[in-house]
Amino acid sequence: MNILIGLITGMISGATPILLAALGGTLTFYAGIFNIAMEGMMLMAAFFAVLGSFALHSWVLGLLFAVGGAMILALIFIFFSVVLDTDEFVTGIALNLFALGSTTYLLRQIFKVKGVFTSKAIVSVPNIRIPLIDKIPFLGPIVSGRNLIVYLAVLATILCWYLVFRTRFGLRLRAAGYNANSLDSSGVRTSRMRIEALLLCAVFCGLAGAYLSLGYVTLFAENMTAGRGWISLAAIILVDGHPYGIALISLLFGFFDGLGLFLQSYGVSSQFTSMVPYIATLGALYVYARRNRERERNRL
Amino acid sequence: MNDFISLERIVKVYPPSVLAVDSVSVEFRKGEIHSIVGENGAGKSTLMKLLYGLIPFDSGTVKMNGAPVRFHTPGDAIARGIGMVHQEIELIPQYAVWENVVLGAEPVRGPAGTLDTKRAIELVRQKIDEFQFNLDPLAQVDRISVAARQKVEILKLLYRNVSVLILDEPTAVLTPQEIPQLFAELKRLRDKGNTILFISHRLDEVLELSDRITVMRKGKKIATVAASETDKEALAQMMVGRQVIFTSKRTPHARGASVFEAKNLSVARRDGLKKLDDVSFEVRAGEIVGIAGVEGNGQFELVNSIMGLAAPSAGTVAVGGRSLSGLSILERRKLVSFVPQDRGKMGASLAASILDNAIMTHHRLEARFAAWRGLVLNYKHAREFADTLAKRFSVQMASRQNQFRSLSGGNQQKVILGRELLLSTPFFLMDQPTRGLDVGSIEYVHGEILAMREADRAVLVISADLEELFLIADRILVMHRGQIVADLKTEKTTIEEVGRYMLEGRVSA
Amino acid sequence: MTRKIVSGLLGVVIALAVGALIMFFQGYEPFATYAALAQFSLGGMAPLTTTLKNAVPLVLTGLSAAIAFASGPVNLGQPGQLVFGALAATLGGLYINLPPALEIPLLMVFAILGGALWSGLAGLLRQAFDMSEFIVTLMLNMIADFFTAWAIAYPFMDHKAFSPMTPPIAQSGWIPDLGPLNSSVLVLIAAVAIMWFVFQRWRAGYEWRITGQNSLFARLGGCDVRSNFMAVMLVTGALAGLAGGLVVMGGPHRFIKGLGANYAWDGIMIAIMANNGLIETLIYGLFVAAIQTGALGMELITNVPSEIAQVLQAVLVLVIVATREYAALIFDRLAARRQASVRKERAA
Repeated sequence: MNILIGLITGMISGATPILLAALGGTLTFYAGIFNIAMEGMMLMAAFFAVLGSFALHSWVLGLLFAVGGAMILALIFIFFSVVLDTDEFVTGIALNLFALGSTTYLLRQIFKVKGVFTSKAIVSVPNIRIPLIDKIPFLGPIVSGRNLIVYLAVLATILCWYLVFRTRFGLRLRAAGYNANSLDSSGVRTSRMRIEALLLCAVFCGLAGAYLSLGYVTLFAENMTAGRGWISLAAIILVDGHPYGIALISLLFGFFDGLGLFLQSYGVSSQFTSMVPYIATLGALYVYARRNRERERNRL
Repeated sequence: MNDFISLERIVKVYPPSVLAVDSVSVEFRKGEIHSIVGENGAGKSTLMKLLYGLIPFDSGTVKMNGAPVRFHTPGDAIARGIGMVHQEIELIPQYAVWENVVLGAEPVRGPAGTLDTKRAIELVRQKIDEFQFNLDPLAQVDRISVAARQKVEILKLLYRNVSVLILDEPTAVLTPQEIPQLFAELKRLRDKGNTILFISHRLDEVLELSDRITVMRKGKKIATVAASETDKEALAQMMVGRQVIFTSKRTPHARGASVFEAKNLSVARRDGLKKLDDVSFEVRAGEIVGIAGVEGNGQFELVNSIMGLAAPSAGTVAVGGRSLSGLSILERRKLVSFVPQDRGKMGASLAASILDNAIMTHHRLEARFAAWRGLVLNYKHAREFADTLAKRFSVQMASRQNQFRSLSGGNQQKVILGRELLLSTPFFLMDQPTRGLDVGSIEYVHGEILAMREADRAVLVISADLEELFLIADRILVMHRGQIVADLKTEKTTIEEVGRYMLEGRVSA
Repeated sequence: MTRKIVSGLLGVVIALAVGALIMFFQGYEPFATYAALAQFSLGGMAPLTTTLKNAVPLVLTGLSAAIAFASGPVNLGQPGQLVFGALAATLGGLYINLPPALEIPLLMVFAILGGALWSGLAGLLRQAFDMSEFIVTLMLNMIADFFTAWAIAYPFMDHKAFSPMTPPIAQSGWIPDLGPLNSSVLVLIAAVAIMWFVFQRWRAGYEWRITGQNSLFARLGGCDVRSNFMAVMLVTGALAGLAGGLVVMGGPHRFIKGLGANYAWDGIMIAIMANNGLIETLIYGLFVAAIQTGALGMELITNVPSEIAQVLQAVLVLVIVATREYAALIFDRLAARRQASVRKERAA
């Protein structure tokens, strides 16, 4: 029983950063931006979260710093890709490398260490215990006691759905992706929608990164996002952007993430267990490609 | 003379040196239908886009009711009551009619900007009824006809209370039968006091519809005349700068043996819908067969089946007696030359050099292009080939190393046409061969097609331009809902009859 | 051609200026830093030969990315293909011992096969199941990383070593120096020359280029798009694999953890800076190699952390690409303005 609970909470933990990053990414996806910079935004956020929390002794400020860090990347993306009309793929890759280089460099410059920085002075984002719910058998320990950011992620999913499908903003956002010319001739500047989408993406990725360094564990390690940004991109593509679909896929990946750790305790070497989420992504991609083929055949 | 809108000495230069609009001055009045005519590339579309604020102009003034105005975006123009419906209908196919119409001016409720769906649909319905447009606000745009989509575009502007409507080549996407309906609607709008600016190169329509006509040529305004005081020949002369002949140059030519044969060709979707339904026809040597039909009635699937992009569900295609089933595209190219509809998408690589574009397919089929066991390309021969092609087809280019996109539309088409012609195949397939070309290039292409006929090749031309088909084709087939519904000898039929087949699939009694 | 050179140089100058600003705000003296960078990468025979040697994996992975991007397939799997090539070469060097004249080519072949295997897998998944090679190669990178980490920690581990790594490969597999220069540089030059020739003069290269620009046109023209796709995946994987092999053979002579980690991503960046041009990849690759080599030495005397090189590189990519695209716009706009004013004078 405890194993099952452990697996499920592990799944939720693994899913959260992917979910948040993917939600941010899906807003840009709907807006028609080829955004692959989630990885970089998350990494910047993770670093700045630790910086803020450590220097100012507050996880709230850590969260704000995290969003700020992701915003820096978003602003650079906006400057190059929207203002200067530089290719988005190139901008994204360059920004990911920029994030990697900057965080590694700042790790050395500010904290004077290489590899990992950890300290008791870093204030982590707290877990929240929900008073009555935590007494419910089986569900209680799962639903209550999770990290604050996990609950924020759930809220974010619903918010994202509402924003995209029920508001004027969402109508225009999707129009920017479906047919930018049409939106422009409707009097709304596509570039403005794309800028707003990127800024919102930074907020979501900020939370995702903060979860990595202040929620999941309390430290910053070089390149600690470890490809999660790419998985969140895969998630978006696999479900064509829909927020609820993304939540499901993220849980799937989170499950495989947790499964990896679980297998470790059975003697499977850690390198193979670490491969599991990525192999799972390949599997999901296979299913997606299969489904697409069917759809094409039906349409023709 | 109430100068409602006046344009004074407008200039627009496209880098690096193309003068798209050359100091044009013209004025439009309230409550008139004013057409702007000219051939492709004359600058009429550009002039209107400049007025509309879609593209900035380099010098000149725009005045409304005597006061200078400057529209920096279409939004500015719309705010002053001017709206434009573009040639390429830019709607959101995934959205419903109402969503497309209200986009950018949506009714909202609540603090979060929630869409007031009910009110939006109601408002759209009101406008539809007011102008008698016959549209369903809830219909998804990618499921309605092209003519209906055009109405949605107009509705979008009327919803924003524009009183000046600019229409860019709106009849290009309509069948002959749908045009009178559009014209009736436009006249109704004019009678209500609106101003219609109608961009076109179709002189018969323009003469029927307009109050006044402005003619443009090579970026300059030639004249503004009242429709009642001019005729087709005069307009054409102003448009082109010389006498234009409207009769066919086609001389009688005996047909030879059957070269191309489609038998019971069908392309069906998974759900059973037949995009191509039991199509059978032949094309003989020395004959030009035209295929008329509204786009989307099976022409796309026909081209794909012939070229090998998609296998048909049933039936066969044969050239010179040889069945094409199962043949690779390369094998087919030994028998079929192809000039596709969309130069940039299928006929060329715009980024590659003119040379690289010219040698495509030849590089595989002709031994002279191969060196060192076929692995290396003989570039010396390639260069000679490209130069020969350019000379023979009068392609004007600065250097064969330049990018293909640096060529004008007419020259691009000449390269493609030349490349395909030089393949010396028995069968030639052409899809919209003169779309977007200026009159000179159109005449040239028609001349080459007729020459193919003299040389006893079999030519199949798919075209939306009925006038073109009547000029060059010996027979005209009409496609409707995937079937061939008519096989008419050009001399024995009329544009109206063909139009009726196109729209209804049969000639009603 | 002149436009390319001008916008390229302009991009580099602006990037260095931005870099100087960043350094200035960090409290470092930009000119001294750049001078140190130059000194430790190009000032003298030893720095120069080191820079050239470091350029080898950078340019090879750059070529791999450039050829792939220019031909259609989005092969982002150079990191994984590199380590697989390195592993293959290492294993060959551990179990096969031949005289150097045979061993070195053999190990290079192993490296090429290792890289091609990994990229071929991604290519197969695309051809058979229509799975986007963009995502597949990215996932395979991570998987390759973990796989090789396992390989050097368990079956092929050197138990005498203090951290996971393989034993050293046979001495006959060590790439020798030709005077001061490591001969892996010669392999690089040969690879660049061969790939340029294939890409620009072979029929296959012609079809790859056209397919990369407009695959529908190539298909309609009779090109065998499917075969070409696979061929490009295999060739570009081979190049990345070769890079990995040369890193092992010319460097630590064994597979150690973290080997070749950043080379491949830097290579992708270089291809982007070079706009997928092959000769440009060589040039930008040398430039980046100079920065990286110089940064290590620079750290010794100026106390600027070498990691700043990574930041500089990212700035370089962004600025060079943006400058190139923006410069084209500006050139055109200037020409247009000139034209318009000429017309105005004539009309007046």
